[in-house]
Amino acid sequence: MHKNTSTDDVESDSQLEQVRTLILGEKNQRVTASIKKEARSLVADVFTEALHDRQKNDGSVNKVLQPLIEDSVQHSVTHNSERLVGSLYPLVGSLVRKSVSAFLTDFMEKTNQLLENSLTIKGLKWRIKARQAGVSFAQYAASQIFIYRVEHVFLIHRETGLLLNSVNFGEHGYNDADLISSMLTAINDFVGDSFLANEDGLKEQLQSVSTDNFNLIIKAGPSALVVAAVIGQPPQKVNDQLQQTLENIHSLYIDELNNFNGDNLLFENSKSLLSDCLLSEQKAVKSKNKTPWLAWFLLLLTIVFSGYHVFLWFQNSQLATKVMQLDLQPGIVINQLDVIDNNHIKLDILRDPDAVKVTDWLEDNKLTITQLNITERNYYSLDPELLNIRAQKVLSRYPSISSTWQNHLLTLSGSLALIQTEQLLKALSMSGFIAGKNLSTEQLQLASPSSLANSTEVKQQLFDDLIGRISAIQLDFTIASEQITPNMQITLQRLFLQVQQLSQLAKDLDISFGLLIIGTSDSSGNKTINNQLSMNRAKNTADTLQAMGLNKDKMYVTGLGEIEITDISNTSRKVMFNVLFVDKAISAAKKQILKRI
Amino acid sequence: MIQKKICLLGASSVGKTSLVKQFVEGIFNEKYLTTIGVKIDKKMVSVENKQVQLMIWDIEGNDRYNAFQERYLRGAAGYIIVVDQTRVSSLSEGLDIHTLARQVTHCPAILAINKNDLAETWRLDDNENIDYQNLFDLHFTTSAKTGEHVDEMFLAMAKLLLRSEHNDLTT
Repeated sequence: MHKNTSTDDVESDSQLEQVRTLILGEKNQRVTASIKKEARSLVADVFTEALHDRQKNDGSVNKVLQPLIEDSVQHSVTHNSERLVGSLYPLVGSLVRKSVSAFLTDFMEKTNQLLENSLTIKGLKWRIKARQAGVSFAQYAASQIFIYRVEHVFLIHRETGLLLNSVNFGEHGYNDADLISSMLTAINDFVGDSFLANEDGLKEQLQSVSTDNFNLIIKAGPSALVVAAVIGQPPQKVNDQLQQTLENIHSLYIDELNNFNGDNLLFENSKSLLSDCLLSEQKAVKSKNKTPWLAWFLLLLTIVFSGYHVFLWFQNSQLATKVMQLDLQPGIVINQLDVIDNNHIKLDILRDPDAVKVTDWLEDNKLTITQLNITERNYYSLDPELLNIRAQKVLSRYPSISSTWQNHLLTLSGSLALIQTEQLLKALSMSGFIAGKNLSTEQLQLASPSSLANSTEVKQQLFDDLIGRISAIQLDFTIASEQITPNMQITLQRLFLQVQQLSQLAKDLDISFGLLIIGTSDSSGNKTINNQLSMNRAKNTADTLQAMGLNKDKMYVTGLGEIEITDISNTSRKVMFNVLFVDKAISAAKKQILKRI
Repeated sequence: MIQKKICLLGASSVGKTSLVKQFVEGIFNEKYLTTIGVKIDKKMVSVENKQVQLMIWDIEGNDRYNAFQERYLRGAAGYIIVVDQTRVSSLSEGLDIHTLARQVTHCPAILAINKNDLAETWRLDDNENIDYQNLFDLHFTTSAKTGEHVDEMFLAMAKLLLRSEHNDLTT
């Protein structure tokens, strides 16, 4: 009975199978074929919802999509950058602003942190301890700041021990990550083979390795290992995350893991999965003072420092402006002025000996400067004020002379003996006075000769001297010109004065004299005209002198025409003067002798 | 980047570690230090315009106190059996290891007859040894001391590995 029942069951099963095959087709062909026809619309209906649900369940959609999106963005950037730029352009401005302000905040924070870590006692302590422990300061600081921090995560192929991928907390990775992974696998193999298999018949697995600084947590799956190097004591959370990641990697990369041929490029996209394991937790810091007071203090210090310098600079430039006023003083020229500080200046000046003294001027202007380095060189200034001062100095020796200083012209009046007059004029000319330019002597009269000047010898000396001076005078004419220019007028004025002095002396010495005025011309042009020209030049000169008051009878005018001396014939357009004189006594004696004869 | 795991196997003190040191660092040291467990090194080589990183597992030598264990051979893409040309016993020990290895893998294998710089006491083409020639894909006579044929051997291994991978793909 029992047997029958089972036979019936088998039969009905096979019949049912036949019916199923008839309706559904071989391997459900009919159903799949009809679903395939509608597949597009069926999937389209629930696609978004399905993605949403799956993402909500285990977050795996993101991980699958992320590398795809990264690839397509990269593709767009390389091949279609114009469009990307166009759509990003409106965002860039605000992005830049935001990132700059974020950078500044971050910079302040970091500076403060750096200062705190480097300059505080705590920082120094850490440094010493890090050295004692033989680890880098950054690592030690991390161990102090973090309860734990996952520094590196390795994905290792179980079979070969080759490194498939790795991520790091900081920017710097391990160069020898591949050696570490091989070595870990070797150790794991050793452990698995060396210890007895456990009750389930599975080999022993290395779960964790501890060193001074690191805890290595090893999660082994059938085809891959995920290893995390952690500073500090990792909580269960890290284990869970590693397990989760390992499972995700197995489900996503199962084919690649099983057919691994040494090419780890296939696992490039697992980085985002591994990054999930880079967990950390900071120690609760006593955050009583979150404000970066050290940074603020430095900022304040900088402001005070620069403010002080601006103040100093302002003060110095004020002082410089005041001292530069010295340059306006007559007889003082400032070559260079360096204001070093409020009480220290360097001054390089030219100064007339008669000008005001620098120290006096500073005192007058209420400028007290304790360190005053003056480099002073003397010069003669032609400033009117100084000319006057100098003139007064000279004139103080001549009480009989009075003077007026007006419109840059020194007018002398009074009477003075001839020799003293000469001395006075000499002294004035050394002081920068030129007769006819800034000196007028017209009102100066010759006083009766003093006893000293009475001596005949002295007068004779003066007489000879005057003759010499008159002979030295020459008037230069331009080509074909016979005009007396204003400059010539001045020279003739001087000549006139000299002739006046001469006539006074001649009278005393009993000498008769006459002035010979000789005109010449250059060698260019007609000889007759040249003769005439030279004559006219002499005549015009004589007329001018006559107008000044010289007696016509005392002058003899002649024109020499061309002067045929090779070197000067081209330029000899001149009027020269000479004094002819005879001793009256001698001539009278001669006359008497002649009479007797 | 393509990485390949290769193993060096053989009797103790035939010069496995010295071969690796010569290949990776280019130096040779007369001092003998026995390897315990395994020592792993890496070197990047360029084969047919491809960069291949060789992860070289230098496995402790086997003698009667330390029998060969296939645990470190797992996942290897190829292996090199090293023997000493001054000790004929190292050849038979090497062949024993080769036989054991063949039970777990059929990856490419090379025979390295090392210490080429010293006087030889046996040859592979001696009558009694001639049969062993065909057991290996390639054989090299090397000297870890002078560096003779060391680089060639590892490069040949890398080529073998790439070629066998290619064959796998085509078949």
